[in-house]
Amino acid sequence: MSLKRAARLYIVGFIFIVLNFYPSKNLFSADVGNCLLCHKYPGLSRIDEQGKMKLLYVNEDIFNISVHLKVKCEGCHTDIKKIPHDPVNKVDCLVECHIVEPSSEQKFSHKDVDNYVKKSVHAALDKYGMPKKFKEDLPTCKNCHDEPLYRPLSFFKQVRPGISEAALGRCRVCHKKEDFIIRFYNHVTTRLHRTRNPINIAEVCARCHDDPLLVERHNLGTRAVFSYGETFHGKAARFLDERVPDCLDCHVNTGESVHQMLSHKDSAAITYRENKYLACSNIECHPGTSQQFASYKVHAEFNLDQSPVQYYFTLFFIILTGGTLLPLMAIIFLDLIRRLFPDAVIPRRR
Amino acid sequence: MEKYPLIKTINGRRYFYRFSLNQRVQHIILALSVIILVLTGMPLKFHNAGWAPYLYKIFGGIKAAPIVHKAAGSILLILFAYHIIYLVYVIYKYQIVPLRDKERRLTSGMILKLLATQPLVPNMKDARDIRDLMTYLLYFTNKRPDGDAFTWKEKFDYWAPFWGMVVIGLSGLIMWNKVLATKIVPGIVINFSLIAHSDEALLAALFLFIWHWYNVHFSISVFPMGMVFITGYLPEELMIEEHYEYYVKIMKQAGLDNEIRPPHGAHSELSTDEAEK
Repeated sequence: MSLKRAARLYIVGFIFIVLNFYPSKNLFSADVGNCLLCHKYPGLSRIDEQGKMKLLYVNEDIFNISVHLKVKCEGCHTDIKKIPHDPVNKVDCLVECHIVEPSSEQKFSHKDVDNYVKKSVHAALDKYGMPKKFKEDLPTCKNCHDEPLYRPLSFFKQVRPGISEAALGRCRVCHKKEDFIIRFYNHVTTRLHRTRNPINIAEVCARCHDDPLLVERHNLGTRAVFSYGETFHGKAARFLDERVPDCLDCHVNTGESVHQMLSHKDSAAITYRENKYLACSNIECHPGTSQQFASYKVHAEFNLDQSPVQYYFTLFFIILTGGTLLPLMAIIFLDLIRRLFPDAVIPRRR
Repeated sequence: MEKYPLIKTINGRRYFYRFSLNQRVQHIILALSVIILVLTGMPLKFHNAGWAPYLYKIFGGIKAAPIVHKAAGSILLILFAYHIIYLVYVIYKYQIVPLRDKERRLTSGMILKLLATQPLVPNMKDARDIRDLMTYLLYFTNKRPDGDAFTWKEKFDYWAPFWGMVVIGLSGLIMWNKVLATKIVPGIVINFSLIAHSDEALLAALFLFIWHWYNVHFSISVFPMGMVFITGYLPEELMIEEHYEYYVKIMKQAGLDNEIRPPHGAHSELSTDEAEK
């Protein structure tokens, strides 16, 4: 090794060591195994056996405001036993991680969520335990969930996004660990409102429910998010209104988990024809609504197959608009030209 | 009703009475509320367009813009109700009562005939004027049609928003008060209301901003803006161009037979002569 090359290696090594031991501004994460030693580098990636590029970078700042910040990396990546590790398997969300659920003092897992999903319209097996048709279309955890982030709320004087220092002041009277206080505050207040805004929820559902082939395969009758987008709810959601209902608000029975979503054909579902008005008549939405109100077609697409009467009604206005404006615009056009030649006239044959 | 002179002469130029102060105020309220309604409604109709959020933000975004829209809609509906009362009052007081006093009787047939011959009600002359205008625009003649007090264009300008106001107003009220409305009508009516409200509003907006604005702002005769909606009086040149038949009638009524100018084709020359003087 030449002296020049050795010097270069020393410099690189020095920078590497300094960078690694430089304290991060957030010290909450559960990176006990020091996985970020490698995974903190943007661009860390590999091409897998299928030729797909996998980005292996973990943004520590983002991870530290995620709901999993206290879960050790190996809590989910259970197949990692040594460092450096071999290629890892996909995370199984049902694994028991190293978190202890405080009320039961049991190791935490998402198995209960899976039990809910198994009873929902999104279950891969039907009620007889047989695989559903096109079961590969049905969602697994990660089809809907990316790494969820905390969205804390401050309730001091008025409700606004963020952490309330006034509230934290009260927490600090009894609780001494700052990271526990902030994490607990985030945990609670994030769950007091939507974890995502309505348009984000709709976009998640749209991954499947706006796929025309999937809609056709499952005979769903509508591109649900497209038709939602044509209602005031959907339009307001696009303008980032968080007060309007998203898919989950109307499709999940009040007080139940979103994972328990039932088919609209199930008489226990809030979307069942006879029950629909209960979703609309929520005290924060349209209190006092009748069954008649709920006969409003939320997912109308105005196409000939799905809603022929509305299709022809829309067509009437299109024809009325064209039939009114086109002749008038033709007159404007002719008038503009005529004013250039006010006295011109086509001579008549005698 | 305030009396307005039919002809005013200012700096040697004649102006002809068209609209009372009451009517002009009604028009300004109508225009402003319609513009606000269009600006706060179209971002919802075209919610996917890039400009929609920016335009909506000017009116306070999703939290405030719908309130502005409803406030402007309410003003427009109140104006519409006022206009109907105003029409009934004016026709009753200034036409039906004098007719009854003159004839010493009043039958439904007389009232119907009176209503059918109101200056803004479309008639056969309008059909002839449209035919004559097309003949003129297609160079078969160099004579424009001689318009009466209100031309077919103005009647169109009046009745199109009139119909639009009923459709848009009713559907808007249903959507605004949907819980109450669906105690009477089924929920599907809200779907139809949304289609009618938004599509008719688009038609109304395009009609007003293309056709009406062309006739009163962008046409070469009036560019950049006709002032009649502010002053209530129309200059003689425009009176000759658009309302020649009525112009002759008013001039004769004022005893100005000798000063009646020739119609259209020559009017530009007259204006030039006048300018030279």
